[in-house]
Amino acid sequence: MTRTVILGAGIAGHTAALHLRRMVGKEHDVVVVAPNSQWNWIPSNIWVGVGQMTVKQVTFPLAPIYARKGIEFHQALATELHPEGSADLPTPHVTVRYTDPARADEVAQLEYDFLINATGPKLNFGATPGLGPDGHTWSVCTAGHATETAKAFESVLANLKRGQHQTLLIGMGHGTCTCQGAAFEYTFNVEHELVKEGVRDKAEVIYITNESQLGDFGMDGMNFGHKGDVVPSQMFTESLFQERGVKAIMSAHVEKVEPGVAFYEQVDGTKGEQPFDFAMLLPPFRGADLKAFDKEGGDITGEVFAPSGFMKVDADYSPKPYEEWKASDWPRTYQSAKYDNVWAAGIAFAPPHQMSRPRTSPNGTVIAPAPPRTGMPSGVIGRAVAQTIAGRIKHGSEGKVHTASMADMGAACIASAGKGWRTGQAAAMTVFPIIPDKEKYGEMGRDVKETYGEIGLSAHWMKVMLHYLFIYKAKARPLWFLIPE
Amino acid sequence: MSDLTTFPNAPLPTDAQVRARSNLFIQAARFAVLNIKMIVMVTKGHH
Repeated sequence: MTRTVILGAGIAGHTAALHLRRMVGKEHDVVVVAPNSQWNWIPSNIWVGVGQMTVKQVTFPLAPIYARKGIEFHQALATELHPEGSADLPTPHVTVRYTDPARADEVAQLEYDFLINATGPKLNFGATPGLGPDGHTWSVCTAGHATETAKAFESVLANLKRGQHQTLLIGMGHGTCTCQGAAFEYTFNVEHELVKEGVRDKAEVIYITNESQLGDFGMDGMNFGHKGDVVPSQMFTESLFQERGVKAIMSAHVEKVEPGVAFYEQVDGTKGEQPFDFAMLLPPFRGADLKAFDKEGGDITGEVFAPSGFMKVDADYSPKPYEEWKASDWPRTYQSAKYDNVWAAGIAFAPPHQMSRPRTSPNGTVIAPAPPRTGMPSGVIGRAVAQTIAGRIKHGSEGKVHTASMADMGAACIASAGKGWRTGQAAAMTVFPIIPDKEKYGEMGRDVKETYGEIGLSAHWMKVMLHYLFIYKAKARPLWFLIPE
Repeated sequence: MSDLTTFPNAPLPTDAQVRARSNLFIQAARFAVLNIKMIVMVTKGHH
């Protein structure tokens, strides 16, 4: 009998838990530790943020699913990792603090044979003074945040209908943010709603980003193959901005936010300030606040985790300039660099470097989009790690090691630009591989036949279909496992 | 003050392209094509 503990129940952790549960016998424990009681289909939060969906439509409680599948669930926050055991408990374990109201603040130690760290990101609003719902801006990172944002947006609409001019600032709240795609989606959903409500002419919509050019998306841009030609994602995205009358502040690091004004620095060192009536700015991410200790109780957090708080895995972390980055720098197995029974899946693994060229202003401010690790690769990684652990459980060290390098993996992304069965629009993009591989695909780094983008109503239907499909899968309904990640 | 960028040189879609983006028949066909493209991409992502 073995015990696998999975920290986190987001896309990577939940996928890993469900797959591992079906792959190993009931005599083996699968345990999930997550601070939230609800599962959230995060890609649809942008629709909650404009009042087009409710929290109930994008979330569901985890406990009944886990009870039905025979997965042990602890609603708790992991705080310490003891991979070698400790003086009072010699087996590997994690220390958790319960967030479950019935056991609030109770501390426990959970032993494991195998551990998956799928803790996802910590929303680091503190990196920019005044950023976030506790400051002066809104967020769509969680369903709760998105609900509050929708209320603020409703007030903006009311003001516009009263004839007041409003400035809406949407984008990245720090120079090292990722998830430009989500900010892009929210921008165009807001713009779509303004048009629908007949108040677009009274509103200024401004996108602020750390990208050096539109369409970078933290992926160093893309080149879409189109009828024998190549269309850069920069042109594709700029066209949409021009068509919809959205202005942008490029290559920007937001330094601080005060009520109604964002202060920023651009990569050329110039400083600016942008007044706003409504701002939705995403925070940078960092790893969960997990400490690691050896069996003597010595702090080994720096050996197990990168300075960003994400877990070091089988990647090449040696510092090197952009020109020397290789696809092979990226991890394949996601096994911890230090412990062979620990893995990090989804956003929790430390990437070896960015994908986009990092830039520094003359004042020394780093303006470098962090690499995105979206739902599809997170799910694929979660499944691969579960398969590896299932192999270890069944065959010991002879078990097959499954790989899921983002350099061998494609991704499909649907970026909503407005909701509505007849009026909706979205950009459908496919990219292969996710990590540019210049050795294999030349200077463009990707296969232009497989890297593709188009805008239309059909892409909106795709996004709606994926919303229901992935919630069905996450609820582990009949034949859920046939739906790919 | 802020340094706003606009994109006056960006190519705009033609009227026909804008209509095609919302045309139900064209979009139904594109929906089928997109599904196939996504399935191909998903297949490449699973080893």
